[in-house]
Amino acid sequence: MMCTAKKCGIRFQPPAIILIYEHEIKGKSRQRIMPVRNFSKFSDCTRAAEQLKNNPRHKSYLEQVSLRQLEKLFSVLRGNLRGQSLAETMEQIQRETTIDPEEDLNKLDDRELAKRKRIMDELFEKNRKKKDDPNFVYDIEVEFPQDEQVLSCGWDTESADEF
Amino acid sequence: MLPDLACSPCRLMERFLMDGFRPQQLSTYALTLYKHTATVGGKTILVDFWDTAGQERFQSMHASYYHKAHACIMVFDVQRRITYKNLSTWYAELREYRPKIPCIVVANKIDDIKVTQKSFNFAKKFSLPLYFVSAADGTNVVKLFSDAIQLAVNYKQTSPDFMDEVLQELENFKLEEKEENVPDQEQSGSIGSPSPS
Repeated sequence: MMCTAKKCGIRFQPPAIILIYEHEIKGKSRQRIMPVRNFSKFSDCTRAAEQLKNNPRHKSYLEQVSLRQLEKLFSVLRGNLRGQSLAETMEQIQRETTIDPEEDLNKLDDRELAKRKRIMDELFEKNRKKKDDPNFVYDIEVEFPQDEQVLSCGWDTESADEF
Repeated sequence: MLPDLACSPCRLMERFLMDGFRPQQLSTYALTLYKHTATVGGKTILVDFWDTAGQERFQSMHASYYHKAHACIMVFDVQRRITYKNLSTWYAELREYRPKIPCIVVANKIDDIKVTQKSFNFAKKFSLPLYFVSAADGTNVVKLFSDAIQLAVNYKQTSPDFMDEVLQELENFKLEEKEENVPDQEQSGSIGSPSPS
């Protein structure tokens, strides 16, 4: 099954994940509606996303859709089932998928810490230059002259006791 | 147990050692050990890198962690202010156990935020070298570790700690009859980032 995913979204009523894709040979745009079953406001979005992605009937269509995107769509649906506004849900997703620069990770429990680490891992992989990249260089030296540092990092305090 | 690759010191080690990246988990001390062979001034030396492996969550490191360290690398995450703020606590503890060893401050993850034009007073205040690095794209990672190894070697050769001397004496006493032909061993204690970042 050769298809190129174009767009993937969620429908609230009745709940379904909808994929717009193109048939690679025919070049025609098509729509696939994948009903969401057994999903409530208490459901786990990660598990629901995994289940859909591995569903034998949808699997080949969803190959190019990332697990993260599906997870996010399920979160939007769950927010709707909880009676939240879209803005509230989006804010919640934003909070759960980014790192709060003020948060002390040393004070989190293992489960929460694992979540944050996953977010940082994803960011790392996105920025990572791998060894088999054609323009990979092992030893990269970049000089950042100290005298050009005119701006303060904003993290230092004025008092003499602190730095 | 598998090493936790989400932490930045692990990422830095991984980037530096590449194929030689073989973390050894020392569960007894809750730390990870990396072995590396380097050439400094034509001599082959063995370097041990110690990574805290989350031990810092207990707010203070076991004293043995600092034992015989010849250099220290302190990593903070430029995206997280708290890791920068915690540097002073870790630095104070380091100096309690190792008053004189060379210490390098590292600003990691510069690939994400343009911070290299900014000044970080912590390094300035204690006259410590500050390196801007990225474990993701590799900027200055090799330089950081090469320089740290060089500093550790210099330190070991020029200013042996009193405690090291005492321990050396004890070891010599025990090994008197044995001939030593192993390469000179260096320990470059790499204090991980002040949080499991």
